[in-house]
Amino acid sequence: MTTITQRPGATTSGSSRRRQRLRRPAGLPWILPALVVSVGLLYYCIFYTAYLSTLDWDGTSPLKESVGAGNYVKMLSDPVFWGSLWHTLVFFVVSLVVQVVLGVVFACLLHSQLYLKTFYKVLIFIPVVLATATVAPVFRQIYAPDGTLNSLLGAVGLDSLQNTWLSNPTIALLIVISVQIWQSTGVVFVLYFAAIGQIEPEITEAARLDGAGNLRIIRSIVWPSVRGTTIAITILTAIGSLKTFDIPFLVTSGGPSYGTEFLGTQIYRVSISFAQVGYGAALSMVLLVLALAAAVVINVGGRRGSAADV
Amino acid sequence: MFETRRVRTRVLLQVLLTVLVIPFVFPLVAMVQGSLKGAGWSNYGTVLSLPLLPGFFKNSAIIAAAVIVIVLVCTMTAAFGFSKLHIKGKEFFFWLLLACLTLPGVVLLSPLFATVTRVGGYNTLWAVILPVAALQIPFTTLLARNFVDGIPNELLEAARVDGANTVRTFWYVLAPLTRPIMAAILVLVFINSWNEFLLALLFLQTPDHQTITLVPQYFVGQYNNDQTKVLAAAVLTGLPVVIAYVALQRYFERGLAAGALK
Repeated sequence: MTTITQRPGATTSGSSRRRQRLRRPAGLPWILPALVVSVGLLYYCIFYTAYLSTLDWDGTSPLKESVGAGNYVKMLSDPVFWGSLWHTLVFFVVSLVVQVVLGVVFACLLHSQLYLKTFYKVLIFIPVVLATATVAPVFRQIYAPDGTLNSLLGAVGLDSLQNTWLSNPTIALLIVISVQIWQSTGVVFVLYFAAIGQIEPEITEAARLDGAGNLRIIRSIVWPSVRGTTIAITILTAIGSLKTFDIPFLVTSGGPSYGTEFLGTQIYRVSISFAQVGYGAALSMVLLVLALAAAVVINVGGRRGSAADV
Repeated sequence: MFETRRVRTRVLLQVLLTVLVIPFVFPLVAMVQGSLKGAGWSNYGTVLSLPLLPGFFKNSAIIAAAVIVIVLVCTMTAAFGFSKLHIKGKEFFFWLLLACLTLPGVVLLSPLFATVTRVGGYNTLWAVILPVAALQIPFTTLLARNFVDGIPNELLEAARVDGANTVRTFWYVLAPLTRPIMAAILVLVFINSWNEFLLALLFLQTPDHQTITLVPQYFVGQYNNDQTKVLAAAVLTGLPVVIAYVALQRYFERGLAAGALK
């Protein structure tokens, strides 16, 4: 975006670089506040969690028993843990695909000459800024047995389709995913909107002169040009899926029968409700490793063969 | 992007856009509609006359303001340091910070709980402010560093040649130039801290310390799940962020995009 301007009077690059280094003042004090607050606090917590994960402890009693890797072994035979992982994977795949498709379509539509574009943009983005805690009661209301959806179905004569939506684990999981899509498509859209704004209009004009239609332009010009954004969104969605807590906690409480349990809600349940702090910490460590691994794998995999940014 | 020279295509695309936006608006409409059922507008009256409500708003505002100050100070100084100053092992420190981007807040649950209770921070706003700020700083620093990287070194060198020290350079040259990204960070951090739920749920136990994200739950408990009041409370708690977003929409999107595009 910005080009680095070379000062016209600059001497040979070697000496100017040396001069620059000599001149640059020490910056360590400037990054210290951020390092202390963020790195200090967060890494302290991570190491503390690693230590806790080797204990059998209820969080309050003075009795702490070291169990080594016992909590991690216990995890392997915990069906709720495997269920959480599976739900996270489904959540990730479905929400990523739907958000990327919607995001690209919205971004293309709002780069076209249509009416009331800012109005539509704001409508798509409002769900992003609302707290899950704020909107969760609405979704519970919509899917309640006597809720909005069932009365809508009744009103159009589709009584046979009425359902107790949140008591079916599969439907409940889909509802959790749909709330996530509702809440984060706005972010995906904004990122694609900015990325598509960077495409030279001449390229699309030329393609159009060559007879390419709207869909062909999306597939052959827009989609390849926003590759970097897609990688960034994939990483964000992967980490977001692993972090999922608010939506299942508030909309479905992880139920029915652990049908919408995610690692986040399981850690909360285990650590706080069941007071198994050690096991909760072990789950946290696994979650942390998965999040880091996901970021690295997607970044490396996505960069291969292309000079994608982000 | 799309060809809209023919009226028919234009109408078609406008209809497509509208149809696709409906699912995003529907829950918002259901929320407002639900809040007006039964007693109508007096649902809002009941919620607003709740003696504890100003306290909920005040606590959320204090948390948001404190987090914004901490994050802005740490982020802007760090972005300046990382981008324009000489630091040995700079990239190592930067990666240390970036690794925190992947950190799920729920991982902090047990260690924070143990630490906060030990230092007597339980049921104080600090127990929410510090971790929320710590969790935001990695992302905001990434955004701000990308932005500061785009400011030519010559500008800062010129200030130095004119005799400005690092502090003055930061304050009089860098700070005015980084206003757009600061505005974006401000909105982003405001929304995230205003909306924080997990840490508030965990650490703020008495109603006089609780925040507005806990209001719907409070109503579920207090009013025996009276949906209309719960939804009215939800509308009221959502209004400040919607207003903040709509007012600063331009900065917010531009800032987000500028940071993420590089």
